[in-house]
Amino acid sequence: MSLRIGHTVDRPGAVTITVDGTPVSAHPGESVAAALFAAGRRRLRESPRAGAPRGMFCLMGACQECVVIVGGRRVPACQTPVSEGLAVTTGVPW
Amino acid sequence: MSGAYDLIVLGAGPAGVGAAVTARSHGLSVLVVDENETTGGQVYRATPQAFATRADAPANPDKKEGAGQRQSLLASGAAVAFRHSVWQVSPGYRVDAVGQGGPVHWSAPAVIAATGTTERVVPFPGWTLPGVIGLAAATILLKSQQMLPGRRPVIAGCGPLLAAVAVAVLDGGGKPAAVLDLSGPGDWLAALPALASRPDLALRGLGWVVRLKAAGVPVHFRTGIAAVRETADGLAVTPCRVDADRRPLPDGAGQDIETDCVAVGHGLTPGTEITRLLRARHRFDAALGGWVAEHDADFRTSLPGLYVAGDGAGISGAAAAHLQGQLAGLAVARDLGRLGADAHETAAAPVRKRLAAAQRFGRAMARLMALRPAHAASVAPDTVVCRCEDVTRGEIDEAVAAGARDVNQLKAWTRCGMGPCQGRMCGETAASLVAEAVGSRGAAGLWTGRAPLRPVPMDLLTGDFTYADIPLPKAAPL
Amino acid sequence: MSAPMFDVAVVGGGVMGATTALMLARGGLRTVILDRGPLCREASGVNAGTLTLHMTRASLIPYAVRGHELWLSADQWLGRGVAAVSTEGLSLAFTPAEEEMLHARAAARREYGAPIEIVPASRARAVEPGLSDQVRLAAYCPIDGFASSYLTGRAYREALVEAGAVVREGAAVIGVDSGDGGFSLRIAGAEPVRARRLVLAGGVWLEEMLGWLGLRIPVKCLINQLVVTERLRPVMRTVLSVANGLLSLKQFANGTVLIGGGWQGIGDPKRGGVQTIPENLIGNTRLARWVIPALAETRVARIWLGLEAETADAMPMIGAVPGVPDAFVIGSVHSGYTSGPYMGRLLADLILGREPERPLFDPSRLLEPQAAPALT
Ligand SMILES: Cc1cc2nc3c(=O)[nH]c(=O)nc-3n(C[C@H](O)[C@H](O)[C@H](O)COP(=O)(O)OP(=O)(O)OC[C@H]3O[C@@H](n4cnc5c(N)ncnc54)[C@H](O)[C@@H]3O)c2cc1C
Ligand SMILES: Cc1cc2nc3c(=O)[nH]c(=O)nc-3n(C[C@H](O)[C@H](O)[C@H](O)COP(=O)(O)OP(=O)(O)OC[C@H]3O[C@@H](n4cnc5c(N)ncnc54)[C@H](O)[C@@H]3O)c2cc1C
Ligand code: FES
Repeated sequence: MSLRIGHTVDRPGAVTITVDGTPVSAHPGESVAAALFAAGRRRLRESPRAGAPRGMFCLMGACQECVVIVGGRRVPACQTPVSEGLAVTTGVPW
Repeated sequence: MSGAYDLIVLGAGPAGVGAAVTARSHGLSVLVVDENETTGGQVYRATPQAFATRADAPANPDKKEGAGQRQSLLASGAAVAFRHSVWQVSPGYRVDAVGQGGPVHWSAPAVIAATGTTERVVPFPGWTLPGVIGLAAATILLKSQQMLPGRRPVIAGCGPLLAAVAVAVLDGGGKPAAVLDLSGPGDWLAALPALASRPDLALRGLGWVVRLKAAGVPVHFRTGIAAVRETADGLAVTPCRVDADRRPLPDGAGQDIETDCVAVGHGLTPGTEITRLLRARHRFDAALGGWVAEHDADFRTSLPGLYVAGDGAGISGAAAAHLQGQLAGLAVARDLGRLGADAHETAAAPVRKRLAAAQRFGRAMARLMALRPAHAASVAPDTVVCRCEDVTRGEIDEAVAAGARDVNQLKAWTRCGMGPCQGRMCGETAASLVAEAVGSRGAAGLWTGRAPLRPVPMDLLTGDFTYADIPLPKAAPL
Repeated sequence: MSAPMFDVAVVGGGVMGATTALMLARGGLRTVILDRGPLCREASGVNAGTLTLHMTRASLIPYAVRGHELWLSADQWLGRGVAAVSTEGLSLAFTPAEEEMLHARAAARREYGAPIEIVPASRARAVEPGLSDQVRLAAYCPIDGFASSYLTGRAYREALVEAGAVVREGAAVIGVDSGDGGFSLRIAGAEPVRARRLVLAGGVWLEEMLGWLGLRIPVKCLINQLVVTERLRPVMRTVLSVANGLLSLKQFANGTVLIGGGWQGIGDPKRGGVQTIPENLIGNTRLARWVIPALAETRVARIWLGLEAETADAMPMIGAVPGVPDAFVIGSVHSGYTSGPYMGRLLADLILGREPERPLFDPSRLLEPQAAPALT
């Protein structure tokens, strides 16, 4: 069952991004964090000392829990819009 | 992109827009910088530009207000730099940011810090699990992404965002598994007189219990979260009854609630990173959400040329934020000599009046959300407080017992607050725990502000260069 | 009843004052140490923690070697370590001019006992595989290392308390009077503190402190910039510097990388570090990325400025205050974090009437002639 609310907006047609090599379908304009959340990929990193799983938390660019690698660069997934073919790597160490 | 302006406004929420439009109307050249793709800040978060609103979408007063503000900024002729993260502000003032194209900087004699708020979440076992998100985060998912935080989320914490999220989940086709409100009906009633100053909002707010009850959503007052754990197909929340100080009751734990997402928030706290970075004077005021930069009635800080507005000047709600922005914009126009003293007074007087009413409402809400020390004190010893560095309550207690007397000393001794979020997530709880030992939040102090305000990618900061492009100073002594 | 008379009061709780106070307390003196803030939260708690011979002033190398040993064994003599690690160190040259500088500097430091040898770039890369392929020549030293300086305050505080010293944090001294066989220290908002002997250990604030005693010794204040990155996979294992001394680079066990080298920011002793200079920030981080290209993968997490003291001849002042019996001064030590635990011992020995193992650094050479007002 989708988390996307359908009756309020029309989204552009779905595109495919890859997450750690696996294709995930998402809509342009969505943030990478939201797209992964909707796709059930909630675990984005592990914490530094305890190695505990972490995922998006604040969605405002403040907590940095959602940092992933896009184009060789660390970016907060919640501030990064989806586009066709975007390759996302999770598991940024810190 | 770079250049000089009369005024740089940091943040394009209601406060920033109010400031920029007002300053423009008095002829100032203005730049507005925000990391989002358009105006709105947190409260009037727009849907992504790629989404088209459906003609038959239900009417939404916030959306209308947000669109109006967006229009007014566009029409004002202010320059805008969206999708730019400000990472440094230096005296004088110079603003450094990174955008998609790399580093940029601008300068202006006046800066208005209108960067809003961060959400406070008091830790509990399981709060770091994926699928546990902030209440504010849930509003962003709902408003901007048009996405449910879950089909049957547990919505927990305190303050008006609880209701906003719960109702929006219903509207979006989900059904909250439960709403857990730390406040009791009595706390809400106590806020009533102030709510009367904004009957429109009060009605929207108070109607929510009825709405949720009708939909069959269990609403538990005076209830918090004892723990969240992962289950085979989601999360399980153990609720816990609390007393009036939000201290868990010894036998208060209830039946586990199965859910697919937990949205939890314990109030908003002013974002002071820019005013701290510049070393403006601050004071602690629990009713305003925490530490705020000291400011006068026109929102001038203790530093010439630096102004604050909106949540960063004390949590007081969207309507007040917009008016505060206008007052700050007027003050800049006056201080830069574009507006005479009399004209300034004439323009400011009606805004101040409206602000007084708007603030009463906003501040009553802020009081509902203010951190209760007993709540922070209830965090268990092995619970992680600092998410970035995995620092537990026990480690904080140990450092305090060994003599750590303020939050910066605590940070050096434990790494609590040293990570990439710069203490935004753990700061309130950590400071509250230190304050228990040293007597007050004032004595426990506030984190020293440091650049970068947001982590800056090394490759963007350094750019393309060769050895000859490095401006080497003269060699160190031998 | 009048306030108790301490045997010694140490003003300034950085590594210099804290070590001196600790050794005096352990030597049996009734000791009080006062700092206007918490212990070791100025230079001694915010420095780069490099324990290196490559950057130390050549003539201070014998002191630095002892300091290096002391930090590595801190859990034994201090009770709690500062995460000190021993590793190798490389100083690098990227241009012919820097090669020459490298040769000259290595030779000078060798003369003072630093086991530094010049090695080809290939050897440097064998030691440090992540190095840039632009390196032309390197100086290699088997004695190098680093600590986490932010842990210093906690370690010293516990040791001082354990040794019976009175630790007064948040006590700003605002002046000194003499009287009945000792000194009386005026404290902002608190009762004066009395002591028979006085040690001034005020870092960049020493010029002001010496002024209390009527002496004028100029102390220059450097505003050093440091940059730390987010955690990153292991990309280096040694301490790296460059021939001209303008870089120090190391990766901590937790994966963060600290970038220093004495690039300057804006500030002064009154206001502290006020502002980073963007060009210097970019210059410093470019140099770091030039040396270890993999740093491009990470992000800058935090930038800060610390205040370092330097005398007119850039050599330390450690010893008796000229003309003021029972008053002593310690500070302005280049790479002073490294040698601090040793320097403090030497001064404590002098005060305790033992012969210091190595010569101290007589402050009288730095006195500016002026009509010295008598101590009131
Ligand atoms: C998620 C959320 C939902 C809320 N919903 C409501 C609501 O429904 N009703 C209500 O009355 N109040 C709500 N509040 C309270 C709300 O924050 C204020 O009422 C209002 O948004 C304050 O406006 P502002 O302009 O001060 O700040 P904000 O609206 O928070 O705007 C600040 C802006 O600054 C930008 N910014 C911050 N730091 C940087 C930086 N370093 N570089 C670049 N840009 C930066 C942010 O992106 C943001 O757009 C909400 C708060 C949050 C956090
Ligand atoms: C950014 C930076 C990086 C550095 N990197 C290195 C390095 O990698 N390796 C190395 O070996 N060295 C390094 N150094 C040098 C080293 O940090 C210093 O030499 C050393 O810490 C100085 O110690 P101190 O005790 O003399 O001074 P400080 O640590 O500055 O202590 C002086 C103390 O006096 C207190 N004080 C001042 N006024 C008063 C008053 N009126 N009353 C009471 N107390 C007062 C202050 O609060 C302070 O705690 C660095 C320095 C800086 C600033
Ligand atoms: S979720 Fe917090 S920064 Fe993205």
